[in-house]
Amino acid sequence: MFHATCNTYHTPPMLPFSFQLRDGEPVSDQIVRAAHRALASGELREGDLFPSVRVLAQELRISPTTAFKVVQELKDLGFLVSRPGIGMVVQAPQLPSLDQRLALMEPSARRFLDEARALHLTADDLELLLRRLQNPES
Amino acid sequence: MITIRGLKKRFRGTDALHGVDLDVPTGKVTAFLGPNGAGKTTTIKCAMNLLERDAGSIEVLGCDPRALKPEHWQRIGYVSENQKMPGWMTVPQLLDYVRPMYGKHWDRDFEKKLLAEFDLPLKTKLRSLSRGQAMKAALVSSLAYRPQLVVLDEPFSGLDPLVRDEFLTGLLELTETEGWTVWISSHDIEEVERFADRVAILNNGRVDLQDDVEAIQTRFRAVELVLDQEIPIPAGLPPQWLNFQIRGRAARFTDSNYDESRSTTECQSLLPGVLSRQVRPMNLREIFVALAKSYRGQREPQP
Repeated sequence: MFHATCNTYHTPPMLPFSFQLRDGEPVSDQIVRAAHRALASGELREGDLFPSVRVLAQELRISPTTAFKVVQELKDLGFLVSRPGIGMVVQAPQLPSLDQRLALMEPSARRFLDEARALHLTADDLELLLRRLQNPES
Repeated sequence: MITIRGLKKRFRGTDALHGVDLDVPTGKVTAFLGPNGAGKTTTIKCAMNLLERDAGSIEVLGCDPRALKPEHWQRIGYVSENQKMPGWMTVPQLLDYVRPMYGKHWDRDFEKKLLAEFDLPLKTKLRSLSRGQAMKAALVSSLAYRPQLVVLDEPFSGLDPLVRDEFLTGLLELTETEGWTVWISSHDIEEVERFADRVAILNNGRVDLQDDVEAIQTRFRAVELVLDQEIPIPAGLPPQWLNFQIRGRAARFTDSNYDESRSTTECQSLLPGVLSRQVRPMNLREIFVALAKSYRGQREPQP
């Protein structure tokens, strides 16, 4: 289908990574985490254009304040730089501090632990599982 | 941007608003939520000087709405669900008609961009437009002068999802305007949940809850417990626990001021034999329902 041809000039660029907003968790946290993952996986690469606050808000139907916060946070983390005349450009940042990286893992770790608790698994059991997943051959 | 204190309004002997306190802070999107008939439109009309109030104070752009001058109205965009428009005009005629009222603020390029984006017919009379098209025409005529304050009264009701999407995209075109403020009413929380920075919930002519969305989402948690035996509802439950229920050995409630360590201690001291405790975040709809239930419970105490 060539549906894009009729009306292209104002079509906003798409978000450069895929993700789905979930309920109940601050939207800005979710987007920042998704951007982290996209960089780690290579979906988002150094030099890629990142959408402006307006496009980000329009794409995700979020409030401009939230979109602004996301961009600010990504800049603070060293993921984005403003290039005058071009816009926001992705850069590979210095690896964030251990604390920052651990903070990013916290929500999924909490869910993981809750589930483990429900199944009566100990920390040792979980360590075994993590090691097995890391080295499937051994 | 807007401050409302103790706003009261009566219609033919019925109290519509019993003292509404509401803030619409500059630079944020404030969603004004509540069931149909709660008084949202009445509040908005009082703020837009379309209705006389009976008591209370209102400030819009630093002015009593009754004293707003044309310079102020040039900075306000207002679109309501039941906007009256001259049906015999076409969209370009409507725009030609309103454009001079906004002087230098009117942005012709932005007008053209919005018209193209909304795909509006230019030769059809307004009275023959579909509901969605009419709302989009109203939005173009209220956004093209890049207002600082946008007030939308139930803009989405009766719009199909595609039109709603276009409508939001058009509205968000203004994002980069300095200090741009939106006040949007809706009876459907999901419509505005992500889009809002702040919510104010109106119920029976009063604002029950107003706060930043993130603050509300941090405060509220659904807690589910499994106990080792069936017990009656204990006395002395913390007031922030709403809608406490026990079914068999499972207990469930909404913690309206959640704190991980306090919650753990409270659960252990008030409820003997907690086997498991699940805590999950809630979306705005769930929070709204929990609050509404809890208010109803307070009004009709259980025997």
